[in-house]
Amino acid sequence: MELLRQAPSRNPKEVLTFALLVLLGAVTLLTTLGVVLSLLGEVVEFFRRVPLTEFLFAPEWTPLFAEPRYGIAPLIAGTLLVTVIALTVAIPLGLALAIYISELAPHRVRARVMGILELFEGIPTVVLGYFALLTVTPFLQKFIPGLQIFNPLSAGLVMGFAIIPYVSNVAADAMQSVPRAIREAAYALGARPYEVALRVVFPAAISGIIAAIILATSRAIGETMIVAIAAGQRPTLTLDPRETIATMTSFIVQAATGDQPAGSTASLALFAVGATLFLMTLGLNILAQYVVERYRERYE
Amino acid sequence: MSEPLLSKTQGGDPWKARIDRVFARALVLPLFLALALLSWLLLDTLYRSFSVQVVRSDVGLSQTFPLGTAWQEALRAALLQEGYTEEEAEAMLKDSKELRALLNQNRVELMWNTHEGPLRYVVTGSYDERVLDLPLLQGLRRWEELKAGLGEGERLVLNPWLDQTFFTRFPSRNPLIAGMGVAVVGTVWVLTLALLIAIPVGVGTAILLEEYLREGRLNRILEVNLRNLAGVPSIVYGLLGLAFFVREMGFGPTILAAALTLALLGIPVITVTAREALRAVPESQRQAAFALGATRRQVVFRVVLPAALPGVVTGVILSAARLIGEAAPLLLVGAAAYVPFYPSGPLSEYTVIPVQIYLWVSQPQPEFARVAAAGILVMLLVLSGLYLAALYLRNRFRREW
Repeated sequence: MELLRQAPSRNPKEVLTFALLVLLGAVTLLTTLGVVLSLLGEVVEFFRRVPLTEFLFAPEWTPLFAEPRYGIAPLIAGTLLVTVIALTVAIPLGLALAIYISELAPHRVRARVMGILELFEGIPTVVLGYFALLTVTPFLQKFIPGLQIFNPLSAGLVMGFAIIPYVSNVAADAMQSVPRAIREAAYALGARPYEVALRVVFPAAISGIIAAIILATSRAIGETMIVAIAAGQRPTLTLDPRETIATMTSFIVQAATGDQPAGSTASLALFAVGATLFLMTLGLNILAQYVVERYRERYE
Repeated sequence: MSEPLLSKTQGGDPWKARIDRVFARALVLPLFLALALLSWLLLDTLYRSFSVQVVRSDVGLSQTFPLGTAWQEALRAALLQEGYTEEEAEAMLKDSKELRALLNQNRVELMWNTHEGPLRYVVTGSYDERVLDLPLLQGLRRWEELKAGLGEGERLVLNPWLDQTFFTRFPSRNPLIAGMGVAVVGTVWVLTLALLIAIPVGVGTAILLEEYLREGRLNRILEVNLRNLAGVPSIVYGLLGLAFFVREMGFGPTILAAALTLALLGIPVITVTAREALRAVPESQRQAAFALGATRRQVVFRVVLPAALPGVVTGVILSAARLIGEAAPLLLVGAAAYVPFYPSGPLSEYTVIPVQIYLWVSQPQPEFARVAAAGILVMLLVLSGLYLAALYLRNRFRREW
């Protein structure tokens, strides 16, 4: 329903309004540019002092020590560990909710469920971090011997619940866009609702569902306060979820709240880690968009 | 959205029917899990915000004051006890500067129960020390025993950590007198400034995308850019703020730098919600206005925007709620500082509620967990207020076209 294209107006008021709006829109472009440039300058300076091979392959991350090492591997390992734990919670629960919202919930209930999810999404992550550290960890320590006070397990579990809405909203949208006719056809063939949901709608919406999972992964990688509070700030190259670790985000918080003078290599390391984080999340977001575009089932 | 095609009268395989029922129930399970977790969080925080304490005062002030006492009276009695003369105490209470310093170091608060009876004022000094801090139930069970065992200068109180003075107290290294006054004022400053910047830019961009360029290259660039910006982790905005606003522009770790950082974070969110609100205004409204000879500017600002306003406002409130809880980016632009005074303008140092909570959570003394719990209750109350406002607006002004 596109309106007739009007001839561009010459009225100065009209032109001025348009120019003003373009200016405001340009702010968003400048923000991106700002993010990239502000990271780039510091990152270039960082790699002038620390060789790239050290950054990629050194097994230790100890920028605040007297003899600093700058191997990002422990931070990436920590991030991935927390992310995997979070996704283990969020994917099954989020997808189940998505199927419920899209396929089974009556209209009224659906609105209410979405409202609850919105509420859940709105809980500040610092609150969730507090909850993970002071409530979930002591609770888990009763069952799991050797669980450290700061551990990726409870941080990951709580984060998993926090990203459920991201999984379920995007996945439910994808399932909703599967045309009704396909469901009707399946019912006409005698399929039960669970068969329709799992064997018809789910495969038809698979591109959107994968995109939902990728986006949730990106969220989990970038999530900061929960891990900074509950997972600890000691970079360890380990896959044991009971050990204290550090993630990329928790290192950034740690370095930012300490007082390294601006320009020191340790403070530049902040930006190198930030750039890595930015590239990873940006890559995942672009991948998600690509998956949606490329593998979308098209219905006429 | 369509009604689900659920038919209850299907015949066929009874096993399949059974699977179906189990399936339907299993799908709702995550919702109940999430709700259970949410209730656990709330109850736990609430429970943690009360404790039974034995506190020792260096100057031996274990006295409490009855409910009718003005807090000045309590403070005066405390001063007398500390060894000041009648006149000195009077002078200190009269002098506003002196009084402020006094209130910084002493907290006059209403305790629910004390060893001298329920609902009495207690003056806590900054050098007072906790002897014992027990969870509510345990403390109440041992109340009589603790009361009997009080030593010289010790007092027994049931401390509701979230009380009226909590909102006005300054941060402190002593959990007994720590409060979030500075953080509350800081949050109001930062959020107001951030919204002042983010609302025009966000709504303007939404208008540009929805009303002026519905397609074309600029539209595509802006849209892709916005989508990617929305996916950038908030802490990366903090790095941008640190590199650009704090260092490059030389604002330093101030309210202004924080507000600009938070505004950038809020712009994509506000744009997305504002676009949805604009899109909900039917095309016929625009066509009618155009048919009456209105220019595009008139159509947008006199027809479409007013019609979309409730939706836009709801979106702004929800974005504000999101921004209030952001701690990560602000940690990088100076909110982690210890600020023992109220901010006086955009260029003063500051802290905000979520960052204050983070600082409390990371303190080693266990009572700071109680202070943090009280802070979290405050934040959750503010957020529920905002959500209710958004919900009210959404329902009150909902229009069916």
